[in-house]
Amino acid sequence: MTRQRLAVNRLRERLPAESAVVDRFVARHGSPIVEGERATFLFRGDADEVRVRHRVVGLPDPLPMRRLEGTDLWAVTTDLPEGSRVEYQLETRRGEHYEQFNDPLNPRVAHSPMGSSSVCAAVGYHVPDWTRHDPEARPGELVEDVIRSKALRRDQPVQLYLPARYNPAQRYPLLVVHDGSDYLGYASMKTVLDNLIHRLDVAPLIAAFVPPRDRLKEYPNHAPHARFVARELVPRLTERFPLVDGPEGRCLMGSSFGGIAALSTAVRYPGLFGSLLLESASLVFTDIGMEHGGGPYFDPVVKFVNRYRAKPSRPVERIFMSCGTYEPLITPNRSMVPVFRHAGITVNYTEARDGHNWENWRDQLRDGLSWIFPGPQKFVYE
Amino acid sequence: MRTIILGPQRFMTTAGTALRSLGVDGPVATVNAGWEEREDDVGELDSVLGGRTRHLRLYHRMLDVITKDEAFASAALAFRDRHEDLMALYRLRLHKAMEGVYAVQRRPPSPSGEAFGALDDAVEGVRRLDDWYSRELRDLYRELDAAAPLESSDVVGWHRGELEAALRDSAVLVLTGGHVGTLLRALRLFALRVPDELPVIAWSAGAMALTERVVLFHDFGPRGASEAEVYDRGLGRVRGVVALPHARRRLQLEDRERCAVMARRFTEQHCVLLDDGTALELRPDGGLPRGARILGLDGAVHEVVPR
Repeated sequence: MTRQRLAVNRLRERLPAESAVVDRFVARHGSPIVEGERATFLFRGDADEVRVRHRVVGLPDPLPMRRLEGTDLWAVTTDLPEGSRVEYQLETRRGEHYEQFNDPLNPRVAHSPMGSSSVCAAVGYHVPDWTRHDPEARPGELVEDVIRSKALRRDQPVQLYLPARYNPAQRYPLLVVHDGSDYLGYASMKTVLDNLIHRLDVAPLIAAFVPPRDRLKEYPNHAPHARFVARELVPRLTERFPLVDGPEGRCLMGSSFGGIAALSTAVRYPGLFGSLLLESASLVFTDIGMEHGGGPYFDPVVKFVNRYRAKPSRPVERIFMSCGTYEPLITPNRSMVPVFRHAGITVNYTEARDGHNWENWRDQLRDGLSWIFPGPQKFVYE
Repeated sequence: MRTIILGPQRFMTTAGTALRSLGVDGPVATVNAGWEEREDDVGELDSVLGGRTRHLRLYHRMLDVITKDEAFASAALAFRDRHEDLMALYRLRLHKAMEGVYAVQRRPPSPSGEAFGALDDAVEGVRRLDDWYSRELRDLYRELDAAAPLESSDVVGWHRGELEAALRDSAVLVLTGGHVGTLLRALRLFALRVPDELPVIAWSAGAMALTERVVLFHDFGPRGASEAEVYDRGLGRVRGVVALPHARRRLQLEDRERCAVMARRFTEQHCVLLDDGTALELRPDGGLPRGARILGLDGAVHEVVPR
């Protein structure tokens, strides 16, 4: 089978060419140009160097672009397997001056607490329709609350999600979401819950979106945080709302350090929660010594995970785990699956061709939530 | 006894035709408790059934009972908890048992060709599991009946009286689709007795509720194929049938090995596919009519040819 020549190579063959030819090429294709399992990134302008910055494990970072002879167009082509989704920025060097920015030729942008990035979506990747507003889905309600926490010695804000048609005569499972504001802001989690409940994929549930104050301190196995969740938040919500009484009705979730917060809270209070939903959890460990390469913020994480690996316990019955294959945490996550399973935990593990970012975590929510709290789809035959 | 079971009515409405085919006059009693809080949104249903409807409103009556009869409400809540516990254990065991069935089924034949009846025995294990669940559920119902006898509830008694009178004057009973669990709960609470001589038309969840044993299924849920599971007893008016509404949309019919396992698991019943446009009037002896589509033991879809 002959592979069709890349658009940028066809352009190269026409060089030297007038500026108008390059104008038309860029206007027609934009950036990146995705052709089969190849992606070509473009930049137009004067610079001494232009590079693609990304965090895809396995690809060189930075990825240097080359100027097309006689033009101000820069390009680099890389592999991009089907279904991939990559966040990236461009970096230019002019003399000693470096600048990093989103791809001006690419309108597709993802947001996070760290700012925004350009998005390169491969063939086969589609933004799931259940992440977008569905006018037919009845909206749930977000209620602002504040809990006076003795454990954290502060007033802790919490946003509570009540499903559409909330009825105090019913009983609901409880989902506690670490990095709650970010899940709402960057992973569209209210829209996702509204849609998945409307589609009967997920049971109507009550969610507590809890933002941290100092996540690098509070999330890696921090006793006051765990005490707040287990001894203050859950009892208060149980008192206030008709919640399913029992661990099977309670799930802790989180991504990255939030995943460690969820796991370490469950380990400190075994049997209180029935399940965990961990997305790209920072499950970094060492087999000898403490040279983990993650910097000082990871020290408590590594201590906690090493201790767990030495003596695995079964704090919950079920764990849904997801991780991006392009992120450095893929190996620790894969390595922890058998550890959890040997401890007797039912693990549902899934991978996506994506990175350590909020849209990846958004895209895994249906698989995770529908497994943890399945909706009544199996009961409904219209 | 005249009974017509139909496929889903959303895209292809056949209920009006079925009603006319009965050639009866008089009010049409409807049970659409499976629609839950949408139970009163009956405009479309009224127009399909020709405006002669008498809605029994079982869902709203059930809410009324729960609100007014505290003893029953509390016993029902306790029952629900225990039923959910039982279902959780059943699903856990079922998942493992079905894994065993498929593993045996996928195994390439040995050089000797000897299979030792392993597949039959594995399926039999699943059938025993289904029976265990059904027995335990029956015991739970018995305990519920002892804890909160419905005969002693004035509220239930009042509703039952109304319903009996409404049914007595009706020419036909129609059961719609919806949430089959809610529908069964409502039917059970009011012990709706459907006289043999009263013609019945039912579709989707309503058709499931007419059978002896209600089986839940959905191969295309968000987590992929999940196993069909026995849920509860139905009214038992339709015998020897597992009703499978939306079969094309909900079952991997092209996976013949999987379908074969389902047919063998429920071998004492016909697994009947109720898709858009399906209309089956049962024979006077209760049997399926010619042309009814069923899953065969070979996993293929066959049409019934009555002897």
